[in-house]
Formats: sequence, C-alpha cells, structure tokens
Amino acid sequence: MTEPVPQIPEVPAAPAGPYVYDYAASPQRQIVMPKTVPLPSLKTYQAEVVAAAAADEAKWVKMQADFETAKTKAEAEGKDAPKPPVRPVPRKDDNDMKTPWPQEAKDADLLLLQERLGGKVEETFEQAGELTCQVSKDAILEALQLCRADAGLNYEMLADQSATHYPAATGFAFSVVYHLTSISRRKRLRLRILVPEGFTPESACAVYPGANWMEREIYDMLGIRFANHPDMTRILCPEDWEGYPLRKDYPVVGWGQRDISFREDRGGRLDLIAQQKAGQLGINLKQPKAE
Amino acid sequence: MFKNQEMEINLGPQHPSTHGVLRVKLRLDGETITHCRPMIGYLHRGVEKICENQTFFQGQVWTDRMDYCSAVANNLGWAEANEKLFGITVPRRAQYIRTLLNEFNRLASHLIWLATHALDIGAMTVFLYAFREREDILDMNEAFCGSRLTTTAFRIGGLREDLPPGFEKLVKKFLAKFPTCLEEYENLLNENRIWKKRTVGVAKLSAEDAIAMGVTGPVLRAAGVPYDIRKAFPYAAYAEMDFEVPTRTEADTYARYLVRMAEMRQSARIIQQCMDGMPEGPVMAKLPKILKAEVNEVYHATEAPKGELGYYLVGEKGSGNPYRFHVRAPGFINLQSLPKMAEGGLIADIVAAIGTLDIVLGEIDR
Repeated sequence: MTEPVPQIPEVPAAPAGPYVYDYAASPQRQIVMPKTVPLPSLKTYQAEVVAAAAADEAKWVKMQADFETAKTKAEAEGKDAPKPPVRPVPRKDDNDMKTPWPQEAKDADLLLLQERLGGKVEETFEQAGELTCQVSKDAILEALQLCRADAGLNYEMLADQSATHYPAATGFAFSVVYHLTSISRRKRLRLRILVPEGFTPESACAVYPGANWMEREIYDMLGIRFANHPDMTRILCPEDWEGYPLRKDYPVVGWGQRDISFREDRGGRLDLIAQQKAGQLGINLKQPKAE
Repeated sequence: MFKNQEMEINLGPQHPSTHGVLRVKLRLDGETITHCRPMIGYLHRGVEKICENQTFFQGQVWTDRMDYCSAVANNLGWAEANEKLFGITVPRRAQYIRTLLNEFNRLASHLIWLATHALDIGAMTVFLYAFREREDILDMNEAFCGSRLTTTAFRIGGLREDLPPGFEKLVKKFLAKFPTCLEEYENLLNENRIWKKRTVGVAKLSAEDAIAMGVTGPVLRAAGVPYDIRKAFPYAAYAEMDFEVPTRTEADTYARYLVRMAEMRQSARIIQQCMDGMPEGPVMAKLPKILKAEVNEVYHATEAPKGELGYYLVGEKGSGNPYRFHVRAPGFINLQSLPKMAEGGLIADIVAAIGTLDIVLGEIDR
C-alpha cells in the first residue's frame, strides 16, 4: 500500500468582514446628544431637593394608603393582616466620598460683587470650595473690570477661560467661564455667563490681555465669537476647518479621518482597500509615471 | 539694487530649537525682530474631546501625553481635579508619595529644560550631564509604576500600588549625589562668558506684563512675583512641607535659569522631607467601582514644572463621563508672551526666548 499523499489544506478565504466602514454606521460617528443640562446652580439644586422630598413624601403616603386598603380587605376576608409598611431610609454608602453640593454664598467677595453689580448678578453660590458668580451676559466686561480694579477684590490674573456647550438647554447654548486669581489675596473666583447661539460676548482682552489666545481657542473649538477681540481667528485647527469640534453635535471621529477598521484587517488587506478607496475617490495612489 | 525692506521668515515648524512643532512667523529688519507671531496646532489631537467621550478613569492616559516631560505632574493635577469633583478624601500616605513623585518629576522636567536650553545656546556638555541624572529619575519612575515617560502613576482616590521595596535606597542614593551634580552644572554655566552673553538681559518680561498675560511658573517668579501654587493654594502634602519659593527681580533669561536651579534645590529638600515624614497606612481611598458624577464644576490648579496647570471639569448627574474636560496648559498661556519677549530683540535671541519659556508642544496643542 502506498502512503496517502498528505493533502495541503485549502487556505480559507479571508472573511468578508466590514473592512470599509460605512460613515453613517460607524459607532464612533454616532452622535449621542446630551439630554440634560448639567449646569451647576444653587437654584436648580434647591428645586431638585424640594422635588425629591415631595416625591419621597408622596411615595410614603401611597404606601400607607395601600396598606390601609390591604388591611381592610384582609379583615373583610378574615385573613391575616399584612405587615405595616416601613419608611425606607436612604442607604449610606461606606466610602470616602462626600459629594460637594452647591451652598449659599457666604464669601465676602461674592457679597461684594452682589452689592456692586446689583441686578446684573444672576446667581452666586459656593461649591467644592469654589466661588461662582453668574452675571448677565451683557455685563461681563463690567464685572471683569470691577474684579480687576476694585481694591477689595483685586483679581490680577485671568487664569483660565473656557466654555461648555449645552444643546439641551432652553434660552442659552453655551456657558463661558472665567477663572480669576488674586495673587496678592490668594483667592480664586469663577465668573460665568450664559450665551445663546450667535451671541458675541464682549472680549476680556481689554482687561486681561492674556485672554487673547483663550478666546481664540473658544472660538476655534466651540464657535463663540468675541466682540472687540484683536485677532478672532482659529488657533489650533487649520483656518479652513469646518465645524467646531467641542460642540456636542460633532462626532468623536472627525470628518476626513480613516474609515478602515484595523481590527478587521486580516491578511494585510489594508493596502488593497486603500487602493480601492482611493479609486472610488478618484485619487491616484500609484507612483506617477516619469514624464 | 539694494532695497531697504523688511524680511519675513518662518522659524519652524521643523526646527530643533522650537522644541517640537512650533512655527513662528517673524518679520525682520536686518537682524532685529519687528513682528513675531507664534502659530500652533500642529500637534492638536483633540484630547479634550476624546476625554469627554471616555470615563473619568480613562482620561488619565491622555494627560500623560500632553506634557510628556512631566507626566506625573499632569497625572497629579488630573487626579486631584477628579477628587475635588467627587469629594474624595485621599489617604495621607498616598498624598506623601504623590508629592514625592511630583517633585522627582519637577527635577526631571527642569533637567530636560536645562539640557535642551543649554544645547540651543551652544553648551553641549550640560546636555549630557543633565540627561545622566534624568536617567536615574526615570529609573525610579520605572520602579514605581513600570513606565518611564508616560507614567499613568496615580489613580482617582490614591495610588494603585505602594512604593516598591528598595525605593528608599534609590532615593537616598540620588539625593546623596544630586547636590554635587547641580554644582557641576553651575560650574559649567554660572560664570560662563558665552552663556551670560546669550542670557543676561535677553527676552525680558516685566512682572506687570507677565501677570497681565497670565504667565505663571518660573517665568513669573523670575520677574519678582513669589506666586507658587504649592504655597498659595496648597494641595497634596505641600502644606506640611518646609520649602522656599525662589525669586529674582531681573526678569531675563539668566534670572529664569537661576530660579529653576534654585527650585531644583528646593525640590530635593521636599523629597528629603517626604522620605523622612512618610506616614504609614493605606494608599487608596474606599471608592465604588463605578464613579457617577453629580452636577458640579471644578477648576483645580496645580504647580506643574512649567507653571499653573489647571483642569476644568463639569460633571453630569448619573454619568460616568465628564461632560466637559478642559485643560489650562501652562505652556499655552506662557507662549502667548513670546512676541512681547522677542520683538525688538535679535533673531538669535528668539531661540533663547523659546528655550526659557520651557514649552512642550504636546500640552500647548493638546
């Protein structure tokens, strides 16, 4: 008998995976818009606390009423009376976390700002040891000048300026925050304004020249233009970039990035796919012929 | 035939003295700079956007890659900002170890600054000497967390691991030789005529200008403002440490060099105190496995080697991701003052100005 010739196993074809991502189907291109408006505020917090307490009370009343009906029903049917309800106690977590909630403004700086600016102050509160003063969007330059020049405040430095997009909010779309530092008094203060889409708040450059690049970054990333800014151009993205990357409606994987799944790449097919993609897009990836 | 006109040139983005990919548009009148415009963004990776789409814990690896010369300082600021957001108390031993590693990181960052700054100006030997000592610090990083450069050293609530056995020996060995090393650098530079000609009176930035532009760190302290966040708003274990804030009043490149050298001595002091007073106990706070935020916004600033490093976080109720993650990078704000330093000076001095700002483009562009 002759030995059977060992058969060379057939190389299975590479799985027909989704090598090329469909732009619309890519999970990283799915935009999940936020449903809440996480704007820290004492008023909102107090309203939430009141609402939660009311809901808790209503639940308790309902539990008691349910018990009464069940009791009368059981008595009528001659069965054992059900157990009386126990009011649930909020569970205490055994960990080293203590959530900082917003508190009433007690700091002298906040009270002074409230006194000087009067009706232009929309809200003041303290949270996590930080002072926040929300002023009307038209009064921000006045507030900054006051913080800079007033002898009782004397905030010499604008440490940071930033903005946040709140697409779920009504009445405004962005919050712009100014973090001021007083070097001489060792204090920090946060000024905040809420601006709607298209509104151009006054630039802080007149008071703090260092705001120049920070405002350019805000414009670049979130699309808020500042009035009377010396140089309102993009800073991090190229000048011809479309869209504002830090808005919530901007996908994590931006336009023009690679849309090939490297995890699916078995057998080194990327080159082929790149050629195919390039062919679809009309790009010649091959070496140009020598003329 | 010979026209008297200004010339426009680009410094960078590919130039060894720009410490990365910084492009500076210069207008020259002969050799004098009449106009200077730094252009950034070549290294923009969208760190803020990515961190907003990851959990609170996952953001840390991105902080390593912002200022890659001082990853530990970035980790510290990030961890403390998160702890402030959640209201977490960190065990005292963890605070001490954090302080210790942070000061080592300051040494490493200042050493790399000294090395490259001196190299830019033409002193090659210092470069080799400084990298020799930096290597020891990276070895200690490796002993602590396994990586040398992108450390990911801390966790929210403390540390993942305690100090490894034998770490004290490494520290002791380093501290024993470091003062001599500092003297070596100073012998090479302090009275070096070329070094002084290239640095004394070059790239001045007055205290008023620095404060107005938001400049922090050694550049501000060299202008005579004793603003150090470790003293002004103590964090980690700095409230228990005894150290000085070195300042100078000349506000030039040479003064910044002296301030940073003095700061290295203070860092060594802090390291010694950390080792002496290291408390016993756990290194991690008790935390739930998943952190869910409440509506809150925090701005936490720490004194990174380059200046004030601030993290601005906004938490969303019930969400495991930060709603907003913003980094106030010290280099970004400090670089703004480059035109003020360079305009009116010579083109050769802009190299000194860029070096003295101690910029890292990874954190400027984020």
